Amino acid sequence: MIVAERVTGAARRFVQGTRVGKSIWVSVLSGSALLIALPFVLRLDGRGHGDWLQFLGRFHPTLLHLPIGLICLVPVLEIAGAKRPALREAADFVLRAALVLALPTFALGYMLAYGAGDTGATVTRHMWGAVALCIGLMLSIVVRPAWVAREQAFPYPALLSASILALLWTGHQGGSITHGGDYLTHYMPRPLRVLIGSGSKDAGGNSFYALHIHPALDAKCAACHGSGSAKAGLRLHSYDDMMRGGKDGAVIVPGKPEASILLARVTLTPGDPHFMPAEGRTPLTSEEISWIRAWIRAGATATAASVPGVKIAEDRVEPPPKPVGDYSKLVPEIQQMQHGLGAKLVPLSAKASDGLILRTVDVSSSFGDEQLAQFKKFAPYIVEAELGRTAVSDASLDTLKTFTHLRALHMEGTSITGSNLAKLSSLSQLTYVNLSGTKVTSQSVEPLRKMPQLRHLYLFNTPAEPDGATARSTP
Amino acid sequence: MKQHPLCTDCEPEVDVTNLPIPTGLKQEWSAVETRRQFLGRSGKVLGWAALASLFGDAALRGGAIGADAKTPVTSPGKGNLGLPHFAPKAKRAIYLFMSGGPPQIDLLDYKPNLAAQYNKDIPDSVRGNQQLTGMTAGQSRFPIAPSHWAFKQYGQTGTWVSDLLPYTAKMVDDLTIVKSTNTDAINHEPAIMFMNTGNMNPGKPCLGSWLAYGLGSMNDNLPTFIVLQTKTNPKENNQPVSSRLWSSGFLSSEYAGVGLRSGGDPVLYLADPDGIDREVRRRMLDAVEEINRQTQADVGDPETNARIAQYEMAFRMQASVPELTDLSKEPQSTWDLYGPDAKQPGSFAYNCLLARRMAERGVRFTQIYKRGWDVHGDVVGVLPTLCAETDRACYALVTDLKRRGLLDDTLVVWAGEFGRTVYSQGGLSKENYGRDHHPRCFTTWMVGGGVRPGLTYGETDDYSYNVVKDPVHARNFNATILACLGIDHNRLTFDYQGLDQRLTGPQPSTVIKGLLA
Repeated sequence: MIVAERVTGAARRFVQGTRVGKSIWVSVLSGSALLIALPFVLRLDGRGHGDWLQFLGRFHPTLLHLPIGLICLVPVLEIAGAKRPALREAADFVLRAALVLALPTFALGYMLAYGAGDTGATVTRHMWGAVALCIGLMLSIVVRPAWVAREQAFPYPALLSASILALLWTGHQGGSITHGGDYLTHYMPRPLRVLIGSGSKDAGGNSFYALHIHPALDAKCAACHGSGSAKAGLRLHSYDDMMRGGKDGAVIVPGKPEASILLARVTLTPGDPHFMPAEGRTPLTSEEISWIRAWIRAGATATAASVPGVKIAEDRVEPPPKPVGDYSKLVPEIQQMQHGLGAKLVPLSAKASDGLILRTVDVSSSFGDEQLAQFKKFAPYIVEAELGRTAVSDASLDTLKTFTHLRALHMEGTSITGSNLAKLSSLSQLTYVNLSGTKVTSQSVEPLRKMPQLRHLYLFNTPAEPDGATARSTP
Repeated sequence: MKQHPLCTDCEPEVDVTNLPIPTGLKQEWSAVETRRQFLGRSGKVLGWAALASLFGDAALRGGAIGADAKTPVTSPGKGNLGLPHFAPKAKRAIYLFMSGGPPQIDLLDYKPNLAAQYNKDIPDSVRGNQQLTGMTAGQSRFPIAPSHWAFKQYGQTGTWVSDLLPYTAKMVDDLTIVKSTNTDAINHEPAIMFMNTGNMNPGKPCLGSWLAYGLGSMNDNLPTFIVLQTKTNPKENNQPVSSRLWSSGFLSSEYAGVGLRSGGDPVLYLADPDGIDREVRRRMLDAVEEINRQTQADVGDPETNARIAQYEMAFRMQASVPELTDLSKEPQSTWDLYGPDAKQPGSFAYNCLLARRMAERGVRFTQIYKRGWDVHGDVVGVLPTLCAETDRACYALVTDLKRRGLLDDTLVVWAGEFGRTVYSQGGLSKENYGRDHHPRCFTTWMVGGGVRPGLTYGETDDYSYNVVKDPVHARNFNATILACLGIDHNRLTFDYQGLDQRLTGPQPSTVIKGLLA
């Protein structure tokens, strides 16, 4: 009882100290109570309520920047007012004007959320932030006269600072609703990200879902259907939430793309009222849609590493080819060489560091191991050797293993038997080998299969693979 | 004063540099002149073109090998480099041209909701007010004709394909299907010109010529650019196709497509007549060339050089073409794949097989024309024939290239000059209908080096009438093909009539990055 009496006593003294009439205090406190009670009376239940509310509510974003500017101006005027008292007088007016604008802004914002049926953590935080801000502004106005009269030094600066913090917080939440939660940090350089410990929003792991489905939905859908906002009760920011579905039930039916509402909505004609993403946000690309479809058909699991038939460029990113050295000094020799042999060294492109192609198509039958050996001198500059249907034999591999930048080797229709293909193992750049129509066996190409970067191995019409059934080792 | 061997009334030697002609032309002349002098110094043992085969055509083009990034190989007045601008994904291309305009609605652009709208009029809001052809502009109604054929989903991509294309259906996971291709022209001649040359009016070089000019040949014994025509089927509505479509326009004629005949000898008079052996032929050509070179020295017309090169090419083709067209060594697996049609010279399947053989032999660009897709009426009667003639062969070509390891660096393109309308031309019945020309959207596909497999790009509206997403204009389609072959379409130019001419024309055009792997 004594404690309670003391608190009431302190409050009474404080209220009296503010030199503001009792009636004003009553109205400020009851106004605050109304603001706090509003969300409990008119609950944001995720259902839409009428076009009028939404129509008016959409003016929220147009109005809100005005009170923000005024609020930010108040501390500037107060500080500058220490030297020029006229500014301090203006601060009072600006503060009141800010409140006069903040209240309708809050009302419009509430109409927007209530009318459109927005819910979710970010929306809730934004709303409570705005409530706190409005109350903070009202209290600031009430305690200010005492501060100006130098009677109460503490309450006004504290309340104003709190209001400004509430403003920053509320504004950030509002921005997250419009642009998505990671709008600010999306392009943050990795070192900074590590510094502030902002974990990426990856679903984690290397599954097809984590690498391709989740990023697409996160970028295009999660602003409205995510952790912050869950329109129609649907959240797509995590696998479990997505599979739980929304107020209309499951949006994904594993194995049945045609029965999955999510796919149906994103594949409508863009003008359709049910088309997603709504309100002119960036739609999914046709490619992303095809991934989602294939993923659903394959069972829509969170763990499957790949979805059959979907070949995504990123999946098979080949490391950029190593540039070859400068061969400009050798050019006269190269010309001499092709003059004599008829085989050509052709630049891959106008960029010299892309390397040279060894082309033998005009002299194929007369081009053998001996002729190939003469190109040893240019070995580091050759990135592709077209030796198909030439007279080269197994002995040629001794020369070829010196072609350190070799990426593609065509030896189709030659007399290679494959007995010493292991000699190619040291060629770390080699991604393509064509041995179609040769005598190689599945045993003799075994060393090639062990080369991780060798993605394209062709064995059509060989004892190793007579029917070419698995022509492309990796698609 | 030099005495021309065929000239009895000698004129003073012309000095090009003093003539009142544009500087560009003079520069071009002097570029050719330099080449001539270079070859002159090299001696005339076999003639310069024969020498060229020893040096490789790189030497002919001003020494491609000697060039590095600092000094791109360009002749004055020309954007020709003989090398790709950047590392290409595809070295060569095969273009399957479906002349006449295949009906996308019956093949690959599935529109399930049309069935319910049978014989209803296409909404005015969809049709808009653009010009129609004279063949249907007078129709009082534009009744919707749903496809007569059922569609099913195929592959892991779940791509919808008509029952007419059972073989194409098997490879949808490899294809890059473009549903949003569109063009400017609504009639065959301007449209087929536009697809091939980027301009509706004849006289511009076609895609194959630009490639030959920009990339040069990969081999010395076959032309850089070969055109194969498919024998026509008299039951089909065949629109004319002729050499204007593979013309080199203002580029030198050596870049023009070389057409092989679809029946009999692929090249006329290829075999030497009795009593003329290879040696005699060689000596004859050397003599002709000597005269041509003299003419070139006096007149300075680059076309004379083109003629010399063509004589030499013909000489080498005497040996290379019989080998190319000799299919006796093809294994049984080839015939199993391509089917019995491939044994009939001039059939589409035969041409596809030849295209694969040419790809192996270093032909840069092969274009196969299949006519008859102009189905104004009797779609139900004619379309199955057209599909039977082409479907299996397309699949066989792609599969054959793939299993032989050629698809990695070969780009295959399937396209017509436009699509066809959703509404019926002439009478519509449950049994039959016709379709008119439709340039606003049509379906094409690509596969192979440079493009992304298993992708369906672009979307059309519910009537396959307008593009609603990711349009691919014919100009951008061509720019994308060039990009696959390592060419920047803005930098492959030729100075002609005061303009840096290019395949995509003066209008801005872009590579469709979404199609690229």
